[in-house]
Amino acid sequence: MSKVVFCEDDPMIRKLVQSALRSSTHDVHIAGDGKEGLDLIARLRPDVVFSDVAMPEMNGFELADAMRARPDLAHIPIVFMTASVQREQIDECFRHGAAGHLAKPFTMAELRARIAQFSKN
Amino acid sequence: MFKLPRSLRLYVAASTLYAALIFFAVQFIYTIELAQSGIFIARRDNGDLLSSIQVVSFIVWLGISLIAAVVMHRLASALSKAQTAEAGAKTSEEQKDLELGSIFGLSSALAGPLDLEQIGAFFVAAVRGSLPFDMTIALIVYDDVLEAFRTVAADGPRAQDLKDRTYSAVALPAIVRVRVIDHRQSLVISDTSADKDMWKKVSEEMPAVAGARSFAALPLVSRERLVGALMLIGERAGDLTPDRAQMPVIMGQYVAGSIHSALSVKEAEARAERETLVSRIAQRARGSLNPDEILHATVDELAKVLGVTRAVVATGDSEAKLDVIYEWAAQGVPTVGLGQRDLPVSRLAARLGRSLFVPDVRKDSRFSEPKTAGILAKLGVIAIAATPVRIGGQFAASLAFVHTDRAREWTAEDARLIDSVAQELRGAIAAAEAFEQQRAAVVELERLNRAKSDFVSIVSHEFRTPLTGIQGFSEMMQSEELTIDEMREYAGDINKDAHRLNRMITEMLDLDKMESGRMEIHRESVDLNAIVNEAANRMRPNAPEHPLSLRLDPMVGEVSGDRDKLTQVMANLLSNAVKYSPDGGEIVVSTRVEGSAVHIVVRDHGMGIPKGALETIFERYGRVESLATRHIQGTGLGLPIVRQIVQLHGGAVWVESTVGEGSVFHVTLPRGVTARAEVAEAAS
Repeated sequence: MSKVVFCEDDPMIRKLVQSALRSSTHDVHIAGDGKEGLDLIARLRPDVVFSDVAMPEMNGFELADAMRARPDLAHIPIVFMTASVQREQIDECFRHGAAGHLAKPFTMAELRARIAQFSKN
Repeated sequence: MFKLPRSLRLYVAASTLYAALIFFAVQFIYTIELAQSGIFIARRDNGDLLSSIQVVSFIVWLGISLIAAVVMHRLASALSKAQTAEAGAKTSEEQKDLELGSIFGLSSALAGPLDLEQIGAFFVAAVRGSLPFDMTIALIVYDDVLEAFRTVAADGPRAQDLKDRTYSAVALPAIVRVRVIDHRQSLVISDTSADKDMWKKVSEEMPAVAGARSFAALPLVSRERLVGALMLIGERAGDLTPDRAQMPVIMGQYVAGSIHSALSVKEAEARAERETLVSRIAQRARGSLNPDEILHATVDELAKVLGVTRAVVATGDSEAKLDVIYEWAAQGVPTVGLGQRDLPVSRLAARLGRSLFVPDVRKDSRFSEPKTAGILAKLGVIAIAATPVRIGGQFAASLAFVHTDRAREWTAEDARLIDSVAQELRGAIAAAEAFEQQRAAVVELERLNRAKSDFVSIVSHEFRTPLTGIQGFSEMMQSEELTIDEMREYAGDINKDAHRLNRMITEMLDLDKMESGRMEIHRESVDLNAIVNEAANRMRPNAPEHPLSLRLDPMVGEVSGDRDKLTQVMANLLSNAVKYSPDGGEIVVSTRVEGSAVHIVVRDHGMGIPKGALETIFERYGRVESLATRHIQGTGLGLPIVRQIVQLHGGAVWVESTVGEGSVFHVTLPRGVTARAEVAEAAS
């Protein structure tokens, strides 16, 4: 079982993730923006973070930078979910220390596989 | 009465005196010798004998003396004749030598590069030797720069009147002009009194020759070009004859070539000087791509070179609408003032489409009309040169160079300078304008390109987000054990996202249609208040935190318009009001009649719009992109669609806003569209 934090501003995608992972063994927590996400991450110390890039308050990149700036959170891998599949934007994700990239729209199988990749056991 | 030659009388007198002296000396010696020898001749006794001897010897001596006198006289006159002949022969040879010498002297003096004045001085000095001492000699040369004849050398009693004078071709006496300048023939008048009428006319046309008794004008031609003329003015009739003019003519042939070269050099120098100035101006002009800067620098420079006291640039679509946009004035010279429109000379130049050179406006009949004269007097204009600048066949501007201090005879050189600078200016301004257009086009293209790529990323983001939902929920319905309720719920979610996607696509296509003019509006009588009401009712369930109040003026009634499109306008404005007030807040929609228009106002208490974006938000993808708006879904097409629809209805839309306090959107729609549209249709 892994602890996962999702940061996503689109309510429909939040609901989709929630529904899709309801039956899984993972401990899933969902935040509506980067700031809320950072609070959750600091509190829960998840095994992996999935984050949208374009979000209010604090975007995905800012969230990643904030995590890198804190020694207690710096080691947590972050996977960006972006609608864009343009090379520059994917490169941008990795420049901000992404551990992976998930292109929207993604299948539930992809999502589960990506979570499994970062699971502890 | 017979009269002895003077010299003979002298000889006779001298020889008579000589004979008498010899006689008395001989008499005296005889008497002494006789006395010593003891012979005493008594006068009384021997008087007759002695006196007869004395008389005979006296007569003999007298005869000998007279013969000698005649011989002496003959000899003397023969000698004198011979001497005279010899001397005469010697003089004419010397003269020839002198003239030949002066020709050689002249040609060697002219061998080096000389200026016109030096050539003139040599020439006059050389010609002088072959002419009477009191003859006036003047050399006039055609100066291409002045486009007139100019006296380069003058010598003689009348020189003062001739020095430093210039004559335009028409200012020369007619006979000189025709014979000498036009036909290149020598004109020699040996005796000016022989044709008094003709000479009177010449004297009037050229006062410096008045009273002359003989006159000659000789053309100087080099390589088919008339370079000048030599004028000779004699004080006695017969001083000048065709023969006597030969020597100056021959020398003139020598000197014409040198004058030609000197003129060519001078012209080339003047041309080079002008070209230097023009190229300096051109260089400066090309160094800048700002039309104003080019204009200002050029005008300043040219004004200084011309030495005028004021330069004025006026622009306008036509000569009737001139407007001073720039001026330069020398120190202490009053300016005419920007925006000044009364510019009679510039206007005339613009109308004629060519440069205008006025030496003195006060003496020019074209500007003597009291009102015009008054304007010019008020502006202090005395001399003026005005030239129109046309760009691409269109009148663009007028340049005027003004003397407020004096009259000025504008020379051909001034004209050429102004024209060539105007030409450069035309090119520079056209280039700058082309560059400006090009730059604007590039900027616009860049903007469009950026907008397009922004759009691609917005669309890809916005499209992929609902697609993620559709794909994800349908996948779950397919592969997971779900309850009927869950199935229904997910189907509903899929449906919602499908609608979202559809709305985006519709908006894009609609805007495309509207912007390309392919969108038709279906006019009918619509109740605007009802449309507002309906849109508000549809919005309310989705915006529980935004109290929506309506203040509708019942007088608004029906307007002519497309029901669906106007509904879309209200829906877009209301959804924006909700979307961009994330913290809630009252939304007020009001309608009212204003003259022939209906005014709709949508007021929110949201985040507001920065000043710089008040206009751009109505442009395609002109959505304000900030952290605050990132999470707000939008295609960037809502407001452009609103504007297009309103404009299709003949109305207007604008916004007032304060960041942090909210925005107020205004829409005006004409009420009588139907009536007017019908009239227009009937008319066509």
